[in-house]
Amino acid sequence: MNFVKSRLPWIVAGLCLLYVLSLPFRHIKSEAKEDVETLGRLPVLADGRVKPLDSFARTTLLTISGKQTLTVDEPATGDVKAHARQIPAIEWYLEMLANPDRADDRRVFRIDHPELVSMLGVTDTKQIRFSLKEISPHLDKIEEQANRAQEIPRREQDLFQRSVLDLFNKLMTYQEVRLGRAPFTIAPMTQGEEWQPLAAILSNPQLQQQESTQAIVSLLFAAKESKPEDFNSTVSAYAKRLDDVLPKETRLAHAEEIFNIAQPFSHTAALYVLAFILACFGFLTRTGGASDWSRALARSAFLVIVLAFAVHTIGIAARVYLQGRPPVTNLYSSAIFIGWACIPLAVAAEWFARLGIGNAVASLIGFATLIVAHNLSTGGDTMQMMQAVLDSNFWLATHVVVITIGYSATFLGGFIAAGYLIFGTLTKRLGQDALTALPKMIYGVTCFACLTSFVGTVLGGIWADQSWGRFWGWDPKENGAALIVFIHLIILHARFGGMIKHRGMAVLAVFGNIVTAWSWFGTNMLGVGLHSYGFMDSAVFYLLAFAATQLAIMCLGFIPVARWKSIRAAETTPTTPGNALASPQT
Amino acid sequence: MNLKSLIEPLASLRLTVFILSAGMFLTLAGTLAQVENGIWTVVDDYFRSIAVWVPFQLFFPEKLLKIPGAIPFPGGLTLGVLLFINLTAAFIIRFTWSTKRIGVILSHAGVILLLVGEFVTGIAADEGNMTIEEGKSANFIEDIRESELAIVDPSDPTSDRVVVVPQGMLASTPSISDPRLPFTIEVLEWMPNSGLLGPMQATKAQLDRADSGVGKQIAAVRIPEATGVDGATVDVPSAYIKVMNEGKSLGTYLVSVGLVSSQPISVGGKSYDVSLRFRRTYKPYTLSLIDFRHDRFVGTNTPRNFSSLVRLQDPARNVDREVLIYMNNPLRHAGETFYQSSFKPGDTTTILQVVRNPGWLLPYFSCGLVTIGLLIHFGVRLAAPIKRNVK
Repeated sequence: MNFVKSRLPWIVAGLCLLYVLSLPFRHIKSEAKEDVETLGRLPVLADGRVKPLDSFARTTLLTISGKQTLTVDEPATGDVKAHARQIPAIEWYLEMLANPDRADDRRVFRIDHPELVSMLGVTDTKQIRFSLKEISPHLDKIEEQANRAQEIPRREQDLFQRSVLDLFNKLMTYQEVRLGRAPFTIAPMTQGEEWQPLAAILSNPQLQQQESTQAIVSLLFAAKESKPEDFNSTVSAYAKRLDDVLPKETRLAHAEEIFNIAQPFSHTAALYVLAFILACFGFLTRTGGASDWSRALARSAFLVIVLAFAVHTIGIAARVYLQGRPPVTNLYSSAIFIGWACIPLAVAAEWFARLGIGNAVASLIGFATLIVAHNLSTGGDTMQMMQAVLDSNFWLATHVVVITIGYSATFLGGFIAAGYLIFGTLTKRLGQDALTALPKMIYGVTCFACLTSFVGTVLGGIWADQSWGRFWGWDPKENGAALIVFIHLIILHARFGGMIKHRGMAVLAVFGNIVTAWSWFGTNMLGVGLHSYGFMDSAVFYLLAFAATQLAIMCLGFIPVARWKSIRAAETTPTTPGNALASPQT
Repeated sequence: MNLKSLIEPLASLRLTVFILSAGMFLTLAGTLAQVENGIWTVVDDYFRSIAVWVPFQLFFPEKLLKIPGAIPFPGGLTLGVLLFINLTAAFIIRFTWSTKRIGVILSHAGVILLLVGEFVTGIAADEGNMTIEEGKSANFIEDIRESELAIVDPSDPTSDRVVVVPQGMLASTPSISDPRLPFTIEVLEWMPNSGLLGPMQATKAQLDRADSGVGKQIAAVRIPEATGVDGATVDVPSAYIKVMNEGKSLGTYLVSVGLVSSQPISVGGKSYDVSLRFRRTYKPYTLSLIDFRHDRFVGTNTPRNFSSLVRLQDPARNVDREVLIYMNNPLRHAGETFYQSSFKPGDTTTILQVVRNPGWLLPYFSCGLVTIGLLIHFGVRLAAPIKRNVK
């Protein structure tokens, strides 16, 4: 048993490492005879930037259907039974252009609103994805409803109207792709040529002579006439040509393609879940203090977190390399970054206290923020170009990064405080060591959060002064940032003035979670319109639900100290006082 | 009773925590108020006021629950002054000048500077827009938050004689007269924000409201004022005015900031040009727009950058040079700063934001002081447990 206990961390870490190393090789292979993988690596221009065709196909399919692959039901043929097959996005894209008739049969349009589904004359309430052919008889009705919805401000639209508009936009996107208007597939091969969409050859006969046009057109014909050999030889020759003519674009497109296949963030999320479970078990095996099992599990959780953090870091580094931008450029990347920045902070806090709770909180925040990011990613390209006003790497690297670290630190402090309140009042798990160490952790993290959120906020003001001459404009986003600074200042001053002690500090730190969630998401919801679609509508619900849980946890803090189970347990089994921080980990 | 015992309550940490908590509440209320109100209204009512009535309705969606009533609350000015007093008092009696406390002292000095900076901005800063077409020049800035009715007498070839009626008067005075004008103006309807309807969109009744000028083809309808969460939307004030001369009507006109040109009114053989325009402040310098550029990312409508190449002429300062103004790269001249703010459709007219703020540098110093102060303070505090832990 002891053998298992001492080796457990390394066994777990070894298995996870194998899993991570297998990532670049594990993806859904296309069953098509055409070499769609090479096709997917070709650089194209969409959303204002050069990217691999596969990225475009994935983003488009994700926007329309909510998934990056297409599931189709294959009917039974010969001795093969009927089964569901996964089609990669790039294969779907090729089908759209080469076999539009078959593509129109694919159920790709995700529709959730029941009234909208019934408008299509469908009574099967389980069906959530529809093909163009199922929708097209009702296009008139959809367009009429969409026009009606468009006439009123976004803020006043109801769920049905938003769903109709959403569907309408999906249909437009689909049409753009099918007609070859997006992406710009025709690459500039010589001086003076520019990126062009395939559809442009109709209006510009000169374009037909261009080398890249001819390559793309013959690819499509080969696919249409089911000549995979022709397709494969053309695509590999064209890919080589592009490699020579556009070396930089091709290199970036290849790198992004590997990034697409590896999907680092979804696997990071899985590792965080594992780490969280290990950390929880480690915590549950504590009985008033650390036990052998709890140490082994905490150590396992720690190693898994280190590994997850490494993958997380590689993912962020890859995005920085691909975009040529600092890590946080939009809401999606802020979610990824908040989780990432929490990890080293939590590990540092853990280093002081050695309780295992840092692991649990780090992995929980890491996982939760990646889930938020995943839900934000369905809105389109997550590496979209920056609006002119935001186009400043200096301020993106300073203000945005610092303030996002401030969010991270606030969440970290808040979640540690939540753990302190929940386990302290309801369980006997917190020993004297934890009861002393946790408030110190909360305090330390709050100091750091105060520094970063203040500096980040003021840097934002200075950026605003640089770009439109107004240091502080009292707009919702700025006010949100100020609220975070306020809550930290309140915690620090109230504690310093003796107005609150451990309990009060923990309650206010949990309140910090609500304030941060408000600042991060809530302020974007006020103007419902510009910034919000899909996830953001339901995000109002999740935000309120999150706030409600945090309020419930804060209420625990009002239980008098004398009734805390952990404190009562700790008083009956005294440990050496004051050794909490100094206890060596053996 | 000595000085110290007088100051002591002012320096209390309880007061600090009270101010901070009240600040939090005020900031939240001031944010929520922007769902219904314009940002400048909110800034004046909540953040630069002595006190404010905060309606309960702010905190609940109107669709779910209607709650009447409001509570009085200290405004931003009151809280800011209180915090300033609190901090200054703390400096006098609490902060002892020792190396151990240097971090605390620096960071709090930074906060005082920040408050002073915001105060200076509040009383001394001014901002407006300068709209210039390519090939043309401008020597005035417009305040897009306020309009004025301008009546121009162009009869003198050397300089126009202008009579200006401020917005406040238009909104409140039903009949306006001035000794310099041969007519009086009756304001039939004043619209703080309006939408303009063309001849095909407007109903006959709407077009019949004016019997002279462009108002016969274009009608204005009242719409709600732009709110803080709408972003950079600007209100378009309009008014229906009746021009009276010796008890006789010279016509009912539509005037609007949204109309491009002024309208002539003839009285006794003399013609006056009337227009509603954003309040103008004339400047001793001139900016001419040489070229406006607006690039988009290929295949999208996302602006990549916009820039204005202008010629700045200021005879009094002997300045005559060309300057390129673009995002994050303003021009600073004569205590004013010119930012690339926007442009008009067609990409040949630039809109520059012109700001005068004598306190603009204070936040920079403040940020530096607080950062250094907090780094020292928390660094010192963190060092102790690290030392212990490493042992």
